[in-house]
This record gives sequence, C-alpha cells and structure tokens, in this order.
Amino acid sequence: MSANPHHLSRRELLSFSAYGLTGAALTSLVGAEQAGFPTRPHFAPRARQVIHICLMGGLSHIDSFDYKPGLEAYHGKPLPSDEHPETFFNKIGLIRKNDFAFKQRGQSGLWVSDLFPHLAGVADELTVIRSMVAESANHTPATFQENTGFQLNGFPVMGSWVSYGLGSETDDLPAYVVLPDVRGYPAGGTINWSNGFLPSIHQGVAFESQGMPIPDLFPAREIPVATESASRNLLGRLNRRYQDQHGADDALAARMRSHELAARMQLTVPEVTDVAREPAAIRELYGMESKHTADFGRNCLLARRMLEKGVRFVQLISGGSFGSPRINWDGHEDMVKNHTREALRIDQPVAALIRDLKQRGMLDDTLILFTSEFGRTPFTQSAKDQVGKGRDHNMYGFTNWMAGAGLKGGMAYGTTDDIGWKAVENPVHWHDFHATVLDLLGLNHEELTFYHNGIKRRLTNVHGSVIQGITA
Amino acid sequence: MGRLLDSPHYGERWARHWLDVVRFGESHGFEYNQPRQNAWPYRNWVVDALNRDMPYDEFVRLQIAGDVIKKNAADGVIATGFLVAGPHNTTRPSSDPMRKTMLQDEVEGMIAAVGQTFLGLTVNCARCHDHKFDPVTQRDYYQMAAALAGVTPNEQKVTRAENVPFKEEADQLKLERRKLQNQERNILDPMRKAILAERVDHPEAQPEAPPATAAWDFTRGLEDEVGSLHIELKHGAKLDERGIRLDGKQAYAASRSIGIDLKEKTLEVWVQLDDINQRGGGAISVQTLNGNIFDAIVYGEREQKRWMAGSNGFARYSSFNGPEEKDAKGRPVHFAIVYRQDGTIIGYRDGQAYGRGYKSRGLQSYTAADAQVIFGLRHGTGPADGRMLKGSIVKARLYDRALDPAAIEASAGRSSTFVSATAILKRLGEEQRTRLAQLRTRRDVIEKRVTEIESSRTPMPVWAVRPGNPGRTHVLIRGSVRTPGEEVAAAGVTGLRTLSADFGLKFNASDADRRRKLAEWITHPDNPLFARVIVNRLWHHHFGSGIVRTPNDFGFSGGRPSHPGLLDWLAVEMREKRWSLKAMHRLIVQSATYRQSAAMNEQARKVDAGNRYLWHMAPRRLEAEALRDTMLMVSGKLVPDIGGKGYRDVREYKFKGSHFYDLIPQDKPEQFRRTLYRFSPRGAKRTMLDVFDCPDPSAITPNRAVTTTPLQSLALMNNPLVLFLADAFADRIRSEAGTELDAQLRRVHLLAYGRVPGQEEIDLTREFIASHNLEAYCRVVFNSNEFLYVR
Repeated sequence: MSANPHHLSRRELLSFSAYGLTGAALTSLVGAEQAGFPTRPHFAPRARQVIHICLMGGLSHIDSFDYKPGLEAYHGKPLPSDEHPETFFNKIGLIRKNDFAFKQRGQSGLWVSDLFPHLAGVADELTVIRSMVAESANHTPATFQENTGFQLNGFPVMGSWVSYGLGSETDDLPAYVVLPDVRGYPAGGTINWSNGFLPSIHQGVAFESQGMPIPDLFPAREIPVATESASRNLLGRLNRRYQDQHGADDALAARMRSHELAARMQLTVPEVTDVAREPAAIRELYGMESKHTADFGRNCLLARRMLEKGVRFVQLISGGSFGSPRINWDGHEDMVKNHTREALRIDQPVAALIRDLKQRGMLDDTLILFTSEFGRTPFTQSAKDQVGKGRDHNMYGFTNWMAGAGLKGGMAYGTTDDIGWKAVENPVHWHDFHATVLDLLGLNHEELTFYHNGIKRRLTNVHGSVIQGITA
Repeated sequence: MGRLLDSPHYGERWARHWLDVVRFGESHGFEYNQPRQNAWPYRNWVVDALNRDMPYDEFVRLQIAGDVIKKNAADGVIATGFLVAGPHNTTRPSSDPMRKTMLQDEVEGMIAAVGQTFLGLTVNCARCHDHKFDPVTQRDYYQMAAALAGVTPNEQKVTRAENVPFKEEADQLKLERRKLQNQERNILDPMRKAILAERVDHPEAQPEAPPATAAWDFTRGLEDEVGSLHIELKHGAKLDERGIRLDGKQAYAASRSIGIDLKEKTLEVWVQLDDINQRGGGAISVQTLNGNIFDAIVYGEREQKRWMAGSNGFARYSSFNGPEEKDAKGRPVHFAIVYRQDGTIIGYRDGQAYGRGYKSRGLQSYTAADAQVIFGLRHGTGPADGRMLKGSIVKARLYDRALDPAAIEASAGRSSTFVSATAILKRLGEEQRTRLAQLRTRRDVIEKRVTEIESSRTPMPVWAVRPGNPGRTHVLIRGSVRTPGEEVAAAGVTGLRTLSADFGLKFNASDADRRRKLAEWITHPDNPLFARVIVNRLWHHHFGSGIVRTPNDFGFSGGRPSHPGLLDWLAVEMREKRWSLKAMHRLIVQSATYRQSAAMNEQARKVDAGNRYLWHMAPRRLEAEALRDTMLMVSGKLVPDIGGKGYRDVREYKFKGSHFYDLIPQDKPEQFRRTLYRFSPRGAKRTMLDVFDCPDPSAITPNRAVTTTPLQSLALMNNPLVLFLADAFADRIRSEAGTELDAQLRRVHLLAYGRVPGQEEIDLTREFIASHNLEAYCRVVFNSNEFLYVR
C-alpha cells in the first residue's frame, strides 16, 4: 500500500516535527500520520496557495469573457445546425446577441464585457480559458464534476485533494477553508466541500459570517479563564502520566499535541476574521463600504488574510441554491437582470483581490480560479420562434479564468464556434482543468492518488492532460 | 462474552459497521437532497437480524430480494432498503440521454454496493471497459446491471403481518366503544340542547367574550371592529356572505403594520375549508413585513387533515397530535392558538383543547412597525405554491395576550352552536357526572388499545425497492448510453471458477426472477468470495485491520492477505457454523491472538511497528459514535431504547428548492439515544461526529480513517453537548458518591476508566476540583487519552 517513496513512518514524521523542521505544518502531519501520503509537491510548484471563486448556476460566457461578434448577425435566427442541443429545459428558442457590450482591455487587448467593469481593469492578469466543456447540463452533477471530477455524491473536492497533496502551511487554521455565500449554502449543502473518501482532516471548513466563525471554537458556555487554563494543564498531566505508564504511542502523542494546536487556533481564527482591523482604504478597495459589494468584499478580503496566515485553499462561493427568486447565476428568466445583479456583488471585490495580492507580491505564488459549472446557451430558453430573455444551461462550451501562479496574463486559450455554443479549438474538459491546477501546484495529477475500494482514485479519474502554453 | 453477544446492544454496535459499508443515508443527495423520512426501518431491521443471529447467507439474500423471497412480509421489503440506500437524483432534465445517463449512474452505485459488500469485488470498475486488474469483464458488469434493472427506489407501504391476529380484538373493542359513546351522548345531549335553547331565548346568558386587540367579522366587512387594523383583499380574494373567499391559488388578505408590539398573543379564526385534503394553507398569520418570520394557524402542512402552529422553518413547530379534521368542509370551525411567554403553544378547536399543547423553543415577538396580520397565505409577500388556503375566513380575532382556556371557550361559545363540555358538566347532577366519568375512563382504555393495534396494522411507508419493469439491458460501449452494444441477460461474474455465472434466464426475465437468482448466486456455498469477505470484516472490526486490509476489495489492487491460511480456515468455519455470525465472534474473541494485552514490546515494535502480525492489541480511539454514546452512558443520560424512528440533531428546512439540515441543540431526552439512531442526511452541517471521522453517508466506507486533529480537540473541549454531559456526569457523581472528594474520584474513575484511581492521581486532582469544580474535572476526563482510547 505505501509504495510511495515520500512516505515516512509515523515515528519519523513525529521526530521530524519535534525538531522543528517545518517542511509542512503539524496540522497535516498529525493527519498524515495515519493516512500515509506525500504532503509535498512532486516537482517545483508555480503556486503554493489557491483561491477558488466558484460561481453557482452557470455564468454566461458570451455575455462576459467570450466575445462573439458573429452573434449580432445570428440574432433572431435559429441555431445554424440540425443537431438538437441537450439543455436542461429543452426549450430551444432563437439566438440572442450578447446583452453586454464588449471592449478590448488593458495592454493585452483582452476582450471583457461591461458586465465586469472592474475585472476589465485587471484584464492583463487574467488567463481566460474559453473552450471549457462539461459532461452534464444539470446543475448538481455539473457542479460535482467541476469540483470533484465526478458527477456523483461522495467524491473529494479539489480543495480536499490539494490539502491531501500538499498539507497545510499553518498549524493555526484548517488547510481548506470555504466561505459560503451569505445568502445561503449551495444546493446539496456541505457535500460541496466534502472530503469524500479522503481522511476527514481534508474536509472544507466553512467559515460563517455571523456568530462564531467555526463550530466549537470556544466553550458553548462561559468558563472562567483560570478554570480553562487549569483544565488544559491538568489534561496535559493526566495524559503524560498515562503515557508514562503504558509506554509511548504515536497516536496518543499526536493527540496531546493537537490540544496545543487547538489553543492556537482559538487565537488565530478571531484574529484572521477580524477584517475591521484593515485600513479604511483597503476596505473601500474591496467594496466593503457599499451595500451590494459588502458581503463578497468581506469574503475576498478574508481570503487574502487567510492566505497570509498560510491557508492552502480558500473557496469563495458566489450563489446559493436554485429556486426562485434567484440567488445565483442561473439566468433562465432574465439574463440582464440576473447577471447584472450577481456581477455587481462580486466584480469590484474580485478585482480588488487581484490588485491587493499583486501589490503585496502575493499574486505570483497564488493561483486564483474563477469557474462556473457550465455556461449559457446562445439561443434563449423560449418558444422556438421567439427571442426570449433567459438562457439555458450550456455544457458544450463555456469560460473559466485563472490568474496569478506565473500564468501568462491577458491571454485567452481555446475558442468556441461563431456563436459561442460549442468549444471547437483546444477544448478543455474539467479533467484537463484539474490536471492543470494540480500541475501549477507542483502535483502530477496521475500520481496524486488515494486507494479507495479497489481503485487508486484521482481528481482526474483516468483522464486529463495539462493545458500547454499558458504559463509565462 | 455470552452476555455481550446476547445483549440487544450487540446488534446496534455491529449494525453501525454494516451501515457504513452499505452507504446508508437518510436523504437523496444531489440538488434537492430531500429527506428520507422512512429509511429507518432498514436500520432497525439490520439491528434485529444481527441480534437474532440470522444466518449470514439469509441476511444477504433478503437484502437483495427480500420482497421476492418473503412474499407479503414487511421485513422482506424493508431488507431491500440495502439496494436503495445510496444517493438518488430526482432532478430530471428534459433531455433523454441525460436522464438515461443519470439512471446508469445510479445502477453503477448499486453494482458497486452489491459487488463490494458481498464479494469484495469492484465490479463497478467495468462500466466502460473490462476491469483493469481483476477478472471482471464489461459484459459481467452489464449482466449484473440486468439483474438489478428492475429496481426502482421508492416508498412502499408495508403491513406487519404478525399483527393480523389482533384484528378481531380491535373489532370487539370498537363495538364496545360505540356503545360507550352512545351512553355518554344520552347523558350529554339533552343538556346541550337545553343550553343552546337558553342562548336563543336569553342572549344575556351567553358567556362574555374576552376583549380583543382586533376583531373582524368578514360576513359584515373588512373593518376591524375594535381598532383600525382594517384588512385589504389581495390577488382576487373576494368578500361575500360567507366571509373572505380564498381560491387556494392566489388569493389572500392582509393588514398594514399592526401598530402594537406583540409578545404573548392569541390568534383566533373561524374558517371553512373547500377541500378537506388541502395542504399547507394558512388561515391567519402574524408575520414580519418581509414575510420571513411568522406564527400562523396552518392546515394540513405537516400532517394531513390536521391543524398546526406554523412558524418560519418550523422553528416553533411540534405536532399537537390533534384529531383529524372532519367538519370544516361542512361548517365553519373555530380554531385558536395561544402563545405564552415561556414558549408554550396551545391549540383550541371549537373552544376546546386541540390535542396537546407543547413547549416550543421560545416565544417570537413582533414589533409595532414590522408586523402584519394576513389571511389565507401561510407567510410571504405574495402568492406562493403550497401556502395558500382554499375556503372562507368567516371571522377572526387577535389578542396581545395569552388567553386562558375559559376565555377561549367563551369566545368560541358565543358565536357557535358549540357548547363546551365544562358548561354541560356544570349543569349535570352529581350522579350523572360520576356515571360519565366511569364511561370516559373505560373509553380511554379502549381508545389506547385500539390506537395501538391500528397503528401497527396501518400500512407503514418504508424506503425500499419498488419492483419495476426491468426492460432490456445492453452492454454500453465505453459506458455511453448513446452507443448500446449487444443485449445481455441477468447473470453473475464469469471469473469465479468454482461457480457458474449463468442464471439460466432469458433477456426478458422478470425482476423477481433476476434478483432471486442474483441472491442465490452470491450466497451459493461454492462462491469462494462470499464467506471470506464477511469473516475478514469481522476480523477487521475486532483487530482494527483485516487479514485483507481492504475489506471491500479482494482483487488485485486490494491488499494481500497477511495470513491467507487463516482467512481460508475462517471461511470454512463460517460455512460449517451455518453462517452464524455470533459463532464466529466467539471463535475470534476466544483466540489467543485476541486475548493479548496492549503492552509494548520494543523488539516486536522494531520489526513490525504497524502491528500487521498482531503481536499486541494496539490502542484504538473510540469511533465518533462510540465516543458520544460513552459520554452519554457515563453521565447517566443514555436512553438505551432499542429500535424506533430515532432522533434528530438537525432541523430540516427547504430553501429555494433544496433541503438543508442545520444543527439544533441536543438537550432533550429523546435525543440521548445511541448515535446509531441519529437521522443521517447527506450534506448536513458539520457536526462533532464528522470531525471524529464519521463519514458522510454518500461514500461507501468499509474502513474509516482515524485522524487526530485540532478540530477534534476544539469539539471535545467546547461542544455544547460535551459540556452538558460533563455537568450531568458531575451531578451523577454527587448523587451517587456524596460530597466526599475521594469517593467522588473513585466513582468518576470507575465509570469513565473502569478502574480505581491511584493515590498519586487523587493528589493530582484534589486541588483542581477544590479550586474549580467537579464539572470542570469531568470535562477534562472526557478529553483524556485514557477515555478516548481503548486498550
């Protein structure tokens, strides 16, 4: 089972940390101890940390980052193909041109629409992948695939895999943190940040914006400071005594150490979440002072603060579950209304995050991901002889972007056809996307495996190839 | 040991291991993640089967084809809960290939469960191509898919056959009940008529109605007859001689903001229903202006034909357990709900208590500027599916205080033909009253027994296999529904040399035949894997690791057996002991290997640090569930009941089409049951159990990871349940050991560690307890390694 050359015995692991060699932080070592896994990259990484901005519901690529001048000519016409597209509602209306005007931006001249005016301002930092393809046009299976590579419940998400592959850089915070949309959890709840079959230490820890950020951080009822510290002291003595009587055991020693780490977490979590400490100018940059951007602005700023503390993977979720009225990007009814509202919430904060990381010199070794489970159709969701206002799900072609991590900024990779329906040049499947993410983090997607019920499981199943030509 | 195996808790302990393997979860997963309210009978079936030491081969056959093998028996159907325990996607896209692919995904999940659970074979790996390592072909996969093609997950109604003999008794009792009722009526009716007659003749004899904060008589108009809280009709609500007419689709009525702060309150309404079977409509509600927070009189939402106190996210809901509504279609009924300061909520129908009141989590207050009264809509700011009432609101009243029963009775009595029992009793003579009480006592006894019999005879819904038409099964080339290949009949895996895979079935065989044959093939004595896989699981749980370390994979990628001869021998023993699991436990536990101590041996440790060759018993951390159960037990809070529906530590609610499960406090005795009985939805909020490696039930988990993390320390130090139980533990110690410190410590150690403390420990602890308290000490004990680990 443990053919991995990086595998250290439990004893080695502990002595390794006892002498203060900080190859990786102890939080993960404690977990690594029983799981037997690398917690170090396979080769020199381009980035150490990840921020994943995950848009729920399906961003319209043709209204945001994939400029299709041809759409204008097709407006009001049927699809120029005999093929019957697979959408969710199966109501194939006439083609509708983009509702947001595109311009070339920055030095690079990258096309970005007016849907994201602030992001347009940092266009030169974006590596836009315009040829994404998915296997499902059904939200939850598609979202599962976006995050786990599989369309089913029960597989580990990207953040868990990265935590498993690289461990944590901090003892004081979880390796994988999730900041849900304040309007509600996405459909399926915590399964969206599940460790699946990986050990539970790799589960995403959701930080709540109200009340205690994580469960059980402090005693559920007030306990006097003196009692608290005396309790810890006594616990240490009882445990040491027990160890003296029964001989050293690695698991028990790790448990004793975990109490110390817990105490440190109690200091760090309130500190890192206290965004009020940030200077006014920074808070303003992130849009925390205005109504529409305050929520996501706070989460973006929080993400930066977590990176500074050494969190490996921070996932920011934009959008909740799917009913009406919409609280995510699922613009079936009215694209303009829906996307204007959703983009307003995140545009300035995300752009601020990029600028802020850059000015702090953190962008180079941070990988930012901006993804959506699928795109939206160039034709509207309406009667077949009408141009409606809403667009259905499009799994054949859509756009994600990345930034940081030594990527070539201001570039677009891959293309869709004239109307933005299907990826035609350099199609990028989720498996390829995931392989690329791991590659940028110094992990070979074929080697990052975990044995589970007969299969050495990978984030990329048995597929995936790293996108070439997007790094500087 | 005999005592342990005979204990009914044996089944509970080992059922937990089994439920991990079969991915038993109580919600559908995916986008909607609906709760499975009736999956729990399968869990109880497992407990019961293990306790009765059902032969393992029968245990397995029933889980694959119980409904076929035990025709018309509830248990047979319940056992098939195994096949449908996994996630189930009910979001149906309109595209045909997408729907077919989803179906195939579900079949794969089922094949994974069947292959791995019973055979240690990852047959599911052959969906798209022949198995990379093991002798399982893609054709084998689709043969097994064909065997399971008729399985549809659904709720089924089953009746427990063993209760049929009681039917006669129930019939007898009902006859007697009718007689008693008639006798009661003979006493009551004349008096009721007399009182009603008096009312007509002497209006002044009517009881005085209590003063209301606002009162409306909609047969007269929309105006508040007390103050100025007038009502406005919305979305096509109409006013006629019956009151406000509501169409059940759009129509409702609303006031402006109420203008007074409301804390304690009483809602009262006279309402007639157009449809007695309607669900979820609100008669009268108080809500915040955005419609998010509310308290309402709601009809038929949680329980059909019953009234309830509706509230946002069911925050203040419990069932009144009131009777079914039978009259409200024929005439207006009076319904009132009283909300008291301490959170108590009481319902009244026609002036009399409706079922039982209960104590909710707390009173909701409303402010003068941000609250309104609405009629016909449960809550919200516009028409919404499932919240609209169909019928007439005749009259209504709002009170800014909690009315007492007499006031409610007066209010109801004044305007209805209802005469309260109290009013009648007051007028009856002593003799009649005694006679009536006797009749009532007897009727209560009968009522209880009849309910008991009927509820066990009423068909009970269970989440199980609904047999369907299996249709035709084709090999799908590269696993794609777009490229069907050759047709296959249901059959087993061909690679097992000692057992033919052929079921002798035609392409169009029935679902029943397919599953019965599959069950027979899997449990066939010549199946070389069947016995080995289960004895390895037993070994795994006794020693912390199996002879084959990968209990769900006996194939090439799995672990090699550390002791192949032992595995074979155990498998043969298993068959010879006629598949008795208890006999196998006895065999393993009595072995010299099992009876070793946890003592260290430095030399052995150097050679085999991982204890693969079992030179000592390695210390093992309590599993998440065992940890909670143990804390409950030592603190004296454990409710050791067996079976039943179980308890919840989550509040379930629906938001934007999806179901969510948020944690609620665990502070009620009904929650203090073994963790096995916890309602376990997928994707619920993180609990202390997750932190201690209890997996989400979406994943098949034959061996749990055992991690050590700071989040575990935080949970065990700070979680409200842990603190609550530490307090309870301290209370128990004081009551059992008195005030003397040494005695207290001895008791703590005996309960928590199973030993007496040494003098050194007493000294170490004495000062701590003196300057802090016993509660704090109990909390430390729960966190100590000696408590957490079993040696």
